[in-house]
Amino acid sequence: MAADWEEIRRLAADFQRAQFADTVQRLSERNCIEIISKLVQDKKLDVVHTLDGKEYITPAQISREIRDELYVHGGRINIVDLQQILNVDWVHVENRASDIAKSDKGVQLVLGQLIDDTYLDRVAEEVNDKLQEAGLISIAELCKNYDLPGDVLSEELSKRLGKLIQGEMDQYNRGVIFTPAFVARHKARIRGLFSAITRPTPVSSMIGAFGFQEHLLYSVLEELVNTGRLKGSVVGGRQDKAVYIPDIYSKTQNTWVDSFLQQNGYLEFDALVRLGIPDPLSYIKKRFKSNKLLFLRAACVGQALVDQVEASVEEAVNSATWTDIQPILPSCLSMEDIGMLINQAMRNTNVQSSARVLGGTVVVSEKFISNCLSVFDEVMQQKAQKEVKNNPVFLISEDDLKHVSTLTESSALSKKEKREAERRKKATEGSGSVKAGGGGNAREIRIRKTKKKGRKDEDSDEETGPSQQSRMHNKPTAALFMTQEEIVAVLEEKLSDCPEEILSELAEHLVRPLSKAYQEVLRAVFMSSTSSPSGANKKKSMKDLQEEITNLYNNIRLFEKGTKFFSDETQVNIAKHVLKTLCTDVTNILVNFLAADLMMSVENPSNISNEVRVKILGKLSEETKGPLMKLHNCLNGKTIEDFLTNIETCAEVCGFMLKKGDKKKERQALFVHRQALTEQLKETEDPALVLHLTSVLLFQASTQCMLHAPGRCVPQIIGTLTGRIPEQQQLLSSYQSLVVKQLVSQSQSRKQEEAEGEADKTEEQDEEAGSVRTQLMALTPQVKDVVLSQRKTSGIEE
Amino acid sequence: MADEATRRAVSQIPLLKTHAGPRDGALWPQRLKEEYQALIHFVEQNKAADNDWFRLESNPDGTRWSGTCWFIHELLRYEFRLEFDIPVTYPATAPEVAVPELDGKTAKMYRGGRICLTDHFAPLWARNAPRFGLAHLMALGLGPWLAVEIPDLISKGLVVHKEREREGAAE
Repeated sequence: MAADWEEIRRLAADFQRAQFADTVQRLSERNCIEIISKLVQDKKLDVVHTLDGKEYITPAQISREIRDELYVHGGRINIVDLQQILNVDWVHVENRASDIAKSDKGVQLVLGQLIDDTYLDRVAEEVNDKLQEAGLISIAELCKNYDLPGDVLSEELSKRLGKLIQGEMDQYNRGVIFTPAFVARHKARIRGLFSAITRPTPVSSMIGAFGFQEHLLYSVLEELVNTGRLKGSVVGGRQDKAVYIPDIYSKTQNTWVDSFLQQNGYLEFDALVRLGIPDPLSYIKKRFKSNKLLFLRAACVGQALVDQVEASVEEAVNSATWTDIQPILPSCLSMEDIGMLINQAMRNTNVQSSARVLGGTVVVSEKFISNCLSVFDEVMQQKAQKEVKNNPVFLISEDDLKHVSTLTESSALSKKEKREAERRKKATEGSGSVKAGGGGNAREIRIRKTKKKGRKDEDSDEETGPSQQSRMHNKPTAALFMTQEEIVAVLEEKLSDCPEEILSELAEHLVRPLSKAYQEVLRAVFMSSTSSPSGANKKKSMKDLQEEITNLYNNIRLFEKGTKFFSDETQVNIAKHVLKTLCTDVTNILVNFLAADLMMSVENPSNISNEVRVKILGKLSEETKGPLMKLHNCLNGKTIEDFLTNIETCAEVCGFMLKKGDKKKERQALFVHRQALTEQLKETEDPALVLHLTSVLLFQASTQCMLHAPGRCVPQIIGTLTGRIPEQQQLLSSYQSLVVKQLVSQSQSRKQEEAEGEADKTEEQDEEAGSVRTQLMALTPQVKDVVLSQRKTSGIEE
Repeated sequence: MADEATRRAVSQIPLLKTHAGPRDGALWPQRLKEEYQALIHFVEQNKAADNDWFRLESNPDGTRWSGTCWFIHELLRYEFRLEFDIPVTYPATAPEVAVPELDGKTAKMYRGGRICLTDHFAPLWARNAPRFGLAHLMALGLGPWLAVEIPDLISKGLVVHKEREREGAAE
């Protein structure tokens, strides 16, 4: 216990001793830091502490360490790396580094990196190695490899060119370094390549194809061209579109052009363009200044060729033939150019008026054309004759009428009257009427009047443009001589050596003069045909005509009377028939008579159709036109009475006297009619006609009235006869039924022939038809006899 | 609680083994011996780290301790007297350190200048009793308290350096 306390006392003493021990001498870290920072603050000490604060370092040491690190890193170090290595604040590192770069010429600060000369030397050596290997190195590539800016690199490398680097830099482009060997090789290639070129070649395509250095290529090329090693020129500078044109090319081009022109006498612009001459026109003009070349649209032509063309044109004109220019011209000339050339030639030879160009290439002399016209003379004459006989209405237009009238008027007054009369007589004679008519004088006066009127009108616009024009228009429709094709055919026959196109064009040219000539000929023929007959004839024919018309008129009246026996329907039918036949005839005669005055008469009036009639009527003077038009219209009507009233007025207008027939004449007419019918009946064998005639005759015999009825009205006629002729009734009706049967079987067999029906049936029908025929044969004389025998009795009655 | 350096220092202080208070008779000298050894170790350690900041001595029984402690702020040394008794329930109860000079100057203090350690130190002590001794008391109790309170008091002007005081008095 006591020992414990003793120990405690001792420990307390130790504690005290420990407490008063040597703390005084020791300078703690904190104190040190405080002291140093104080010293730094007072600028008595120049040190820098490391980032972790554990160490102080002097700037000199930093510099030394930077240099050491630079050396260790092979002459190039990034300041950021340096700062991490030195573990000092970045500001100090950068300051020291820039100090070093400033003070030491061998070291520089590039993009935050310290680089010294040894490094650059090494780079240069490496570059040199690569250069010797590849022959060329671009700075840009080096920049990428060494991660250095191009200007620094190119500057440093250019400093070392010739020393460390065996090569040279392109003076136009500092981005590439070559070795002399490379340049020489390149030069040789370029020399070879461009020496081999014979045609204009874009330089850029060569670069693409052979992998040349663009800038080197241009400089070398320039040099070679300038020294004369390469014969050629570079057009377009140093751009993409630069083109190398070898001298040999332009030389051959020129010689080709020269020889072509010499040989062929022409140059085609297209061909020059194909040769690579961009502006052929100016090129030719420049090259052939002295030559007299004729420039066309797509080519130019030499004097020789022009002379040749001129000669052949002249020859064609002089010999009154034609010539085709095409064969002597180069085939490449377009039609347009040929036209220009021919025009030029014609102008030069002064034959424009005496020749013309057909089909683009053929020169035809006017004489030749007129010769061609003469070929047609004969044909024309013939055709005119024919035409005049056929259809004068279509030939004669209004101004022809005028022309004729002027012709007649212009002739001496004393002659005029006579001529007119003659003409008219001839016309009436031509109309083919057999019987003479009266009242010619009255008519004469009328015509004179109208003529004068026409002349007055005509005087006002005589020989003026419009009339001429209208004539042109009218001509082709009024009287076309020949169609173009026909003309071509004729020409082909006569001019066997002409090409076809020329013929058609020639025909086109000829159509108008031909039809003009044809008109002339036609008129001449017409005039000659109309002016021949004598005056006596005329009067006679007038008389005949009057008689004929009167005759027909009376007949019509008698027929009209006959129709009254029938029922309405049949009456209408018969009336229509009469209108269509007899009345139309009368109308035609009248119209034709008037037409004769206008030179339009036809040979046979009955041929005049509806349209022709209308046409003629259209040309008549107002006075006569009105009534005749009415007359014409009532031909399509249903009653004969209308017609009769109209014809009376018309006849009056036309200068005819219509005498109403007296009893005696009527009887005479009846007789004549019956006589004619009997004659016909005697001759005919056709059962249908026999029946028709018989019934008509029987009708006349029983009623004393003439009948003019269509075939289909026969049953009605027989119907009216019943009761009047009891004895023949039976015979007629049986004959009628047989006729009907025959007609039916005929129409059936016709149908079957078409359809090729079964044999049995046809046989049957044949049999039937045969039996009908024999029956008819048997009955026909009996029926005929009925009328023929009756004639005597009736004749006695009369 | 305390800074890193203090923690390290404390971890080097040997822990005590004997669970005995002043009333425990025979065991108390044993405990006292361990206390002394720990204190010596702590002081030597502080001195080695140039961090000596207190002086202590006890009565022969080892129940009453007194001494000085100082704090260096802005290169000036502020020194204070300190005293404490070993409570009868020691080591279950921590001694109450008093700095009489600062009595009434700060809120973190009880009457009689006993510093307020309940917040952090008391639980710590309770957890580590009986292995913590006086050295721990100084290191984890008084040391941090001074480090927090003295600069505050100086800035408030409640504590003035003695030389300045003298200068102030002389003026």
